[in-house]
Amino acid sequence: MKNLNIKSALLAFTLLATLVSCNNDYADQKPTIANIAVTNPAFSTLEAAAIQGGVAVVLSNKNAGDASGNFTVFAPTNDAFARLGLVDAGSLGALNNTFLTNTLLYHVSNGNLLSSQFMAGGTTGSALQGLTRRFITRGSDVYINGSKIVITNVSASNGTVHAIDKVMLATGANIVASAQAVAGGGVFKKPELTFLVAAVVRSGLAPTLSDPNANFTIYAPTDAAFIAAGFPNVAAVSAASPATLQAVLLNHAVGTGKFTSEQTALTAMTAGGGTLTYSAFTNGTFTVKSNGITTPANMVIPDIHCTNGIVHIIDKVLLP
Amino acid sequence: MIESITKQLNIMIKKQLLFILAVTTFGYVNTAHSQSPINGFMQGKGKGNVSLSYSSEKYDQVYLVPMETDGVPVFNEVQINSKNLFATYGVSDKLDLVLSVPYIESEGNASQEVLNNLNFSNTRKGFQDVSFYLKYNPYYHNFGKSSLRLITAFGLKTPLSDYRADEGLQSIIAIGNRSTTVSGVGVAMFKMDNGVFASGQFGVNLASNDVPNSLTSELKVGYAASKIYGDAYIAGQKSNGGVDILAEGFQGFFPATRVDYTKVGVNLYAPIYKAIGIAGGASTIIEGRNIGKATGYYGAVVVKF
Repeated sequence: MKNLNIKSALLAFTLLATLVSCNNDYADQKPTIANIAVTNPAFSTLEAAAIQGGVAVVLSNKNAGDASGNFTVFAPTNDAFARLGLVDAGSLGALNNTFLTNTLLYHVSNGNLLSSQFMAGGTTGSALQGLTRRFITRGSDVYINGSKIVITNVSASNGTVHAIDKVMLATGANIVASAQAVAGGGVFKKPELTFLVAAVVRSGLAPTLSDPNANFTIYAPTDAAFIAAGFPNVAAVSAASPATLQAVLLNHAVGTGKFTSEQTALTAMTAGGGTLTYSAFTNGTFTVKSNGITTPANMVIPDIHCTNGIVHIIDKVLLP
Repeated sequence: MIESITKQLNIMIKKQLLFILAVTTFGYVNTAHSQSPINGFMQGKGKGNVSLSYSSEKYDQVYLVPMETDGVPVFNEVQINSKNLFATYGVSDKLDLVLSVPYIESEGNASQEVLNNLNFSNTRKGFQDVSFYLKYNPYYHNFGKSSLRLITAFGLKTPLSDYRADEGLQSIIAIGNRSTTVSGVGVAMFKMDNGVFASGQFGVNLASNDVPNSLTSELKVGYAASKIYGDAYIAGQKSNGGVDILAEGFQGFFPATRVDYTKVGVNLYAPIYKAIGIAGGASTIIEGRNIGKATGYYGAVVVKF
């Protein structure tokens, strides 16, 4: 009797033990794009950006705006964010939130876009007001705008992820309006390019630089660069000779809008007739030297896509 | 003569067992993976116990679908400290009342910058959900040197304060899911006179607030001597439906998530002075879905009356 009891009890408990343990039958399930960002440590800043920018829930679900229900996301790695000084979730507070959301949307498009469809010179529309990105090949590397595509075709349940080494920046505005947005705290909360905006206005070049039919590469010196060049404050820029400012600014403009990834020649003629000398393209960037300076300028933020050109923010004024 | 002594000894042991065993559910807290408030013992008419427990659990990994992730989104790490008042009273030999009132503090570990960026807070605390159970023992059979008891329980759990569970990702550290839940539990308890016992239970939980209904289960084996009580258990929950965090259908509303888990744990209890005893235990989640990979401990003071 006792043995029987123990045997029955053991049997019952074995059955129960099988039932209590939950089986993870979902191990083969594909993660969503949002899940990939959250579970992959190389995308922790992107994860935080997606949360702060309000797109984490969107990228957890099917794309309602596309028949296939898919998104394609070009996902900047942590290193890509770090290039902008965005080294962790906390540092994202430096960004204006609307700009952050728009920037994320610029990395997203409808449907599955696989690497086999990346055609040099081809463009692809983004979820940010339909603004396009373009594919560029350089050697054996493929770029989207100035960003190198470092991992391709990560398949998610709601689309495809490709990793890139630079955050893609687009303003959806012309060069002048873009610089004004930066100066007004609409990009980084801390205003930047305030001296440049004052110089553009004072020089009378604003109409040229906001011409929708223009297509420039603009090297945009930071406020610190202007101060180092001898302008103590914005008022000093606004009081300077327009002709002098124009001559200096025209030395920052090159005829065609080019991302860093597209710049192969090592010299360029500026709109002012001067010459710029570039260092070799390394790790997505190069230095820029004009005749009037002894050490070249470094890029602080390269590859900002404006509607009438590409802007690279640099740390020195390129004196002619 | 010897038979008579053995018999008397057996009766004594049984009485001592009863004293200890009747007070073995103290670490009960209504966190996502609480220990079942229903055990396989009855208090006896007019008897009962009250316990005050303090428990602490922590996790920095989360079981997502399809794989677990290091670091809790936004909060990095979550620590939950709870104080719980737990009471059981025997209305009759066959009917117990069970009450649990938890106060919970849930702490995240997000940096101040992140909190500012998201307008979030690292703390959520308050009285969570009060649970009340009617526990009925319809069947008891003594085999001589062992016995089998069957118990059914009917419970109601409902929020005690106005804590929130709908604050988007802030609610990763919500103290509860704000559901009012009706539960039915069945327990089978097999006990031997040498102090070894084993019990198994199933519960059905019907929840509100878009929380998926769930099945819970627990298998427990233990030993009780006159000066010590101990058990080890494996317990689990399976949700019926619900969404996975960051998967299709997820709208940032955490109560609607499908929470499954398997946990293992131990409980220890020892009487220290007259009717007063102390208890302690530990538990850890060994697999799960949409739940933190938490490990927790508790200590409690138990007063039996």
